[in-house]
Amino acid sequence: MWTLFEIRNGLRLAIVAVGLVAVALVSMVVDGRRVRGGGELSWWTGAALDVAAPVQRMMSTPVDAIHDLWVDYVDLVGVRRENDELRARLAGLSDENLQLREALVASGRLERIAEMREAFDVPMLPGELVGADASPWFRSVPIDRGRSQGVRSGMPVISEEGLVGLVRSTSRNASKAMLLVDRQAAVDGIIQRSRLRGIVRGLGGEELGFEFVARGADVEVGDVVITSGVGGVYPKGLRVGEIAAVADSDSPLLRTATLRPAVDFARLEQVFVMLRRGPTMELLHGSEEAAPASAPPAP
Amino acid sequence: MRGALVLLGLGALAALAQGVLASWIPARLCPDLGLLVVVAIGLCLRSLVGGLLVASLLGYLTDLLSGSLLGQHALLRLLAYLAVRHGSRHLSLRSPFALGACVAALTAANALALVALTSFFTAGAAPDPWWLRDLAPQAVLNALVAPLAVRLADVAVAALGDEDPSRRTVRFDSRSWPA
Repeated sequence: MWTLFEIRNGLRLAIVAVGLVAVALVSMVVDGRRVRGGGELSWWTGAALDVAAPVQRMMSTPVDAIHDLWVDYVDLVGVRRENDELRARLAGLSDENLQLREALVASGRLERIAEMREAFDVPMLPGELVGADASPWFRSVPIDRGRSQGVRSGMPVISEEGLVGLVRSTSRNASKAMLLVDRQAAVDGIIQRSRLRGIVRGLGGEELGFEFVARGADVEVGDVVITSGVGGVYPKGLRVGEIAAVADSDSPLLRTATLRPAVDFARLEQVFVMLRRGPTMELLHGSEEAAPASAPPAP
Repeated sequence: MRGALVLLGLGALAALAQGVLASWIPARLCPDLGLLVVVAIGLCLRSLVGGLLVASLLGYLTDLLSGSLLGQHALLRLLAYLAVRHGSRHLSLRSPFALGACVAALTAANALALVALTSFFTAGAAPDPWWLRDLAPQAVLNALVAPLAVRLADVAVAALGDEDPSRRTVRFDSRSWPA
């Protein structure tokens, strides 16, 4: 037999629990509409992200330091043997060294960024990753650039290695980008060699899936996949990855290949936000949110 | 009240730490610290209303820092908390085996619910079986780390909170005998 106290207590708990569940459901509906419609965070969620981003960066600093220390230690192991070998080869390498330096500059990072800027003719904003996703089931990253720097949701994010993902939501001074490896991410891609089109999908891990029509497919391990530009989200020609394996399939229609991303997401630190959205994103989010013309250029 | 605030702080720290950890450890090998803190709240915090509020707030914080929809983790953390509270009335979740099994089951339920909610609320995102690929390592990892997380929460509440985790309310149902 329940007492009056137990009934009153249970009723209070039920009201609180049902209230919280209702608030969470309403939040999801509203946020789902926001993601589809505009992507800009409300003032309070934006403020929370603005606060969390520097705190996360502060917490990352000691972890990064420990990681660097470990990497340095690993590098040091065997350095004596390597040093002896290098000493022996030093004399012969001095001339070659000059040539290598030139080659390094030519094929280096800055060169590639400059090439990309020329190829796409889009202003790019450099930004840094300040952490990773707080849930193991999603793959998005906070970036230390936000609306005040011209970043808008729907803008592609790249690195000098290739396509990184898409800005999903922004606050004043930070933004969240969905990585290509996120399970919700999909990109229309094309194999550079055979011009075969397919859909690149994030799998949540370190690899991507490439789905293509089986009939007449010409896909080989090592083929480079780039963005096709179809869909109007990403510009054509961004490097997505390399075919790592082609799976056998019983399906007469579709086949799937494993794609090794061009970007090493585990080591990703600096990214570039392309400060112009594709036509589809522009239609989806509205042109009034376009990035300001005074956005700072890439270095 | 102070215990709830301590666990809220611990949960917030865990959510931020998860983001930092995920930068270096593959996602499937990273325990779901947010879920573990909610399990710890269910076992360490006496106030049910306080626990509901803290679990919900921590869910919202995770939503803010992840790619999920706002409210998605809030709802699931809330349900996870209620499940732990309910489970702790029938099982001795203080034992590592029972706790591990409970956390593994919660991890699975959490992942399935995330898939379902994401595909329901996000247009065009069809449920993908690849979502479940990481389930087994996640469940095992969470089950292994759970006793440690609960112990940590116990220590934090005992040291900083205003309630003694060793003194919990126990409900005794007297058996009625036929006359």
